[in-house]
Amino acid sequence: MPPTQAVASEDQEKLLEEAQQVVKVQAFQMKRSLDKGKLMDGLKNASNMLGELRTSLLSPKGYYELYMSVCDELRHLEQYLLDEYQKGHKIADLYELVQYAGNIVPRLYLLITVGIVYIKAHQSSRKDIMKDLVEMCRGVQHPLRGLFLRNYLLQCTRNYLPDTEQDESDNPETAGGNIEDSIDFILLNFAEMNKLWVRMQHQGHSRDWEKREKERNELRILVGTNLVRLSQLETVDVERYKKDILPEVVEQVVSCRDTIAQEYLMECIIQVFPDEFHLQTLSIFLKACADLNTAVNVKNIIIAMIDRLALFACRDDTAGIPADLKLFDIFSLQIAGIIEARSDMPTEDIVALQVSLINLALKCYQDRVDYIDKVLETTASIFEKLKLELLKNNTAVAKELQRLLKIPVDSYNNILTLLKLEHFVHVVEYLDYEGRKTISAYIVNNAIDNNLPVPSQEQVDQILTLVAPLVKDQPDQPEEEDPEDFAEEQGLMGRFINLLQAEDADQQYLILNTARKHFGVGGNKRIKYTLPPLTFSAFRLAFTYKELGEEDDKWEKKCQKIFTFCHQTITALIKAELAELPLRLFLQGALAAGEIGFENHETVAYEFMSQAFSLYEDEISDSKAQLAAITLIIATFERMSCFGEENHEPLRTQCALAASKLLKKPDQCRGVGVCSHLFWSGRSTESNGEEIHDGKRVAECLKKALRIANQCMDPTVQVQLFVEILNRYIYFYERGNDQITIQVLNQLLDKIREDMPNLEDNDETEQITKHYNNTIDHLRNKQESAEEGPSFEGLAL
Amino acid sequence: MSFFGLGQGADIDIALDDAATRKQAEIKTDDGRKEKLYLFYDGESLTGRVNVTLKGKKLEHQGIRIEFVGQIELYYDRGNHHEFTSLVKELARPGELTQSTSYPFEFLNVEKPYESYTGANVRLRYFLRVTITKRLTDTVREMDLVVHTLSHYPEVNSSIKMEVGIEDCLHIEFEYNKSKYHLKDVIVGKIYFLLVRIKIKHMELAIIKRETTGSGPNTFNENETIAKYEIMDGAPVRGESIPIRLFLSGYELTPTMRDVNKKFSVRYYLNLVLVDEEERRYFKQQEVTLWRKADKVKKPLQMQRQQMQHFVSPSQNSKPEPSSDE
Repeated sequence: MPPTQAVASEDQEKLLEEAQQVVKVQAFQMKRSLDKGKLMDGLKNASNMLGELRTSLLSPKGYYELYMSVCDELRHLEQYLLDEYQKGHKIADLYELVQYAGNIVPRLYLLITVGIVYIKAHQSSRKDIMKDLVEMCRGVQHPLRGLFLRNYLLQCTRNYLPDTEQDESDNPETAGGNIEDSIDFILLNFAEMNKLWVRMQHQGHSRDWEKREKERNELRILVGTNLVRLSQLETVDVERYKKDILPEVVEQVVSCRDTIAQEYLMECIIQVFPDEFHLQTLSIFLKACADLNTAVNVKNIIIAMIDRLALFACRDDTAGIPADLKLFDIFSLQIAGIIEARSDMPTEDIVALQVSLINLALKCYQDRVDYIDKVLETTASIFEKLKLELLKNNTAVAKELQRLLKIPVDSYNNILTLLKLEHFVHVVEYLDYEGRKTISAYIVNNAIDNNLPVPSQEQVDQILTLVAPLVKDQPDQPEEEDPEDFAEEQGLMGRFINLLQAEDADQQYLILNTARKHFGVGGNKRIKYTLPPLTFSAFRLAFTYKELGEEDDKWEKKCQKIFTFCHQTITALIKAELAELPLRLFLQGALAAGEIGFENHETVAYEFMSQAFSLYEDEISDSKAQLAAITLIIATFERMSCFGEENHEPLRTQCALAASKLLKKPDQCRGVGVCSHLFWSGRSTESNGEEIHDGKRVAECLKKALRIANQCMDPTVQVQLFVEILNRYIYFYERGNDQITIQVLNQLLDKIREDMPNLEDNDETEQITKHYNNTIDHLRNKQESAEEGPSFEGLAL
Repeated sequence: MSFFGLGQGADIDIALDDAATRKQAEIKTDDGRKEKLYLFYDGESLTGRVNVTLKGKKLEHQGIRIEFVGQIELYYDRGNHHEFTSLVKELARPGELTQSTSYPFEFLNVEKPYESYTGANVRLRYFLRVTITKRLTDTVREMDLVVHTLSHYPEVNSSIKMEVGIEDCLHIEFEYNKSKYHLKDVIVGKIYFLLVRIKIKHMELAIIKRETTGSGPNTFNENETIAKYEIMDGAPVRGESIPIRLFLSGYELTPTMRDVNKKFSVRYYLNLVLVDEEERRYFKQQEVTLWRKADKVKKPLQMQRQQMQHFVSPSQNSKPEPSSDE
């Protein structure tokens, strides 16, 4: 063999240039001969020109360029011959004449050119000439030259192939052929071109194989054009496609046993023929897929087909998928067959196929949840057969599987529909911890975004089982997790709890219980995020029962149960060594119980308050936290009115005691100051909801606060405390507490005025001065205005 | 010029009666040029006139006759011409011509058993010869004619089919549609590749003419390649079937001649040649008989059918095969 591929690229350019030059010269002479009417000379020149296409030295790219130039020139010849014919000159012997050319490549190009002129001149000869040309081209077995020759044949015959059912003439002698002849013609040409194309890989040295395959790929369009031409025949209907075309094409593709050809041609079939045809021939097509080479990426082929049909199903301008066509079943069956047949198919490809099946089902059969579930079931059972271990996150399979799982989530946008997929969870279970968590978070996020309530206990149970990686510890969970991510996930679950909303209260109770069971085992780190919203949800339910009081005679009992539930839930948080959170929840519970006022509510509220106290005493040690906690307790207690004196008094006392027992003096001072309000605006059942207004105790508290303030060593803090206490005095004075007099106020003002100038000049002092000045401004306003209420006369400002 | 009575010359002209309508045919002369001559077939009569035009006032002669001669000339034996036919007619008894005279002649239903032929070593020719016998030098005038021998359609004309090959290397089956072709015929056939383990570059079909002269130890064979026709480009794989279609009318061919008058033969062979990438040639020769058919007026449509004639074989296989046979 001449060293075809050994020619370097610079030589290639030179070779091509030389060849082009010959073509130019011969073409010029050809045209001149033709202009002079010397047909024979013209044909000779044409033959010389075509002789350049006999080269073995050019790369496919170079050969293509040369071919294009030659084709351009051949068009002149064709036009000349046509003109001659129209002028009445005989061209009858030309078809024989050109066959005397000694070399086959120029001979066949000329034969085709003359043949086309014949066809254009006498339609009736068309059938015979087509048959003859496609048959004679067998003589060129060199892949590159054969491909281009046959491409020339295909290009020349375009627009001239018979495209009718019947011969245009009944006379068999002059019959111009019908659609069947065209199909036979193209199919034969296709088969031959495919063989040549496939054979290219064996030309030359094996070390150039890769380069050759690349070049071969560049030529694929030549082969594909045959299929395009078939698809352009208007007379071809579904029946004919099914009977005459597809089986032949597919047979050719399968039996060539070449990976590149198979991948390209299957893709080609999908793209060039109409959807309506595909719909009726899916089984043939998919069966062929199972027979392709093992190296062929069947997945891509099937996915391309599914995508195309799915798109078709969604288009508005078509009738859609015919009802009698079990599209999903066909695909499902055939894909199963393909997976079965190709034991070495990568798992990610298997999953990708399932992904495309799901896409198909979703696009074409929106209501058929069972289809999706069937795919999931199939996937799970394939995995089972493969005996797969947990799929590591970020592996191709895991990624593909996540894609699979996210599709129904995204397309339903409804977690309840998702729950109908029984096998969803079975598939999820093949993911590792990270993967399961990602999917869980994805589901929960989707549920939150769509904000659809989850109305039944069973559903809650299912969901929380499904998203278990976010609910409780997993066996394959890593030791350490990123705290921020963790907080975010759990925050998500907290938000999700708000979606647990039954239509009636009893159901809601069951839901909360179920959720509690799931979240309860979440471990100390998780319950911090999940139990509080659950508790609040329970409180809300209790309020709902209160509203239902008239309809539901057992509402009080139910409320009590709810508070028991809350108590247990909050206690769980305590066991998780949390303090402030349960304390707040207890206080909230106490408030709620007091407000709802069911039977026994006072006991419940008292219990909750006392739980808050014991948390305060036992668990809160930081002094700042203590102050904040006791302030909260006092404030909560101040708002409550459900306690009888019997319970109110110890709580009150306890508050005062706790406040005075705070470690730091300023804290004590402030705590006692806050406490003073309990004796004024606190309410007990005995006061019938009225504030108790125990002026004496208020004054005692404030006096005690002053005393503690006096004990403070830091003058700045001291003055700050005085100003704060002054404000409380003024508050109670304005509310009409007769134990507080102008004289007391004046004393305190004097004291402040005396101490203030001694303070160091700094930011803190400035703050205090401002507070003081604002207070004075307020008092001055009061003094000057003629409002009702206690008189500020005699106040020394 | 007429000092010695030699000047009593005359021009002789032979005019065929049907000269205006008789067809002419080309034939090579022995010096390689081509000339057009009147064409005759076996059994046809030759009639015409011999015109003797006097150059002087009178012509004394020993008699005037016309002969029809068919002879074979072997170039290596120039002196010896083998006449296989010789017919003579007396046109005038010895005497004196005083004026130009025209003599009619007639050879009725003349047997012309062989075809005119000009080859490398041999020539078969027919001619008319008029001789005016004189005392010193005869005046002679010859007129060459061409004879075509027409054959009937052969009764048996089976195809040539053969399987040939080199063991484990190349096996082909070739088939030519006939064993006897007329000169305007088309050879149609196909080559079917049963086994291909060599890298074939191309394949051609050649028409070889073999002229045999002499006999015994003095036999001369002269081979001439009349046509070289590429029928395949590139390397086929197993299962390929390559069509052959070769038009004969464009080539200079004669009918096959076997042992003409025990002097010579002209035979034709089809040589199928496969050339591999190392330029090795594999070939198979096969004799075919050529014969001449009477011309008929061609209808254009028939022409086209012939132009597209195909060999149809039941064993054709269009299924693709795995590309490599190794």
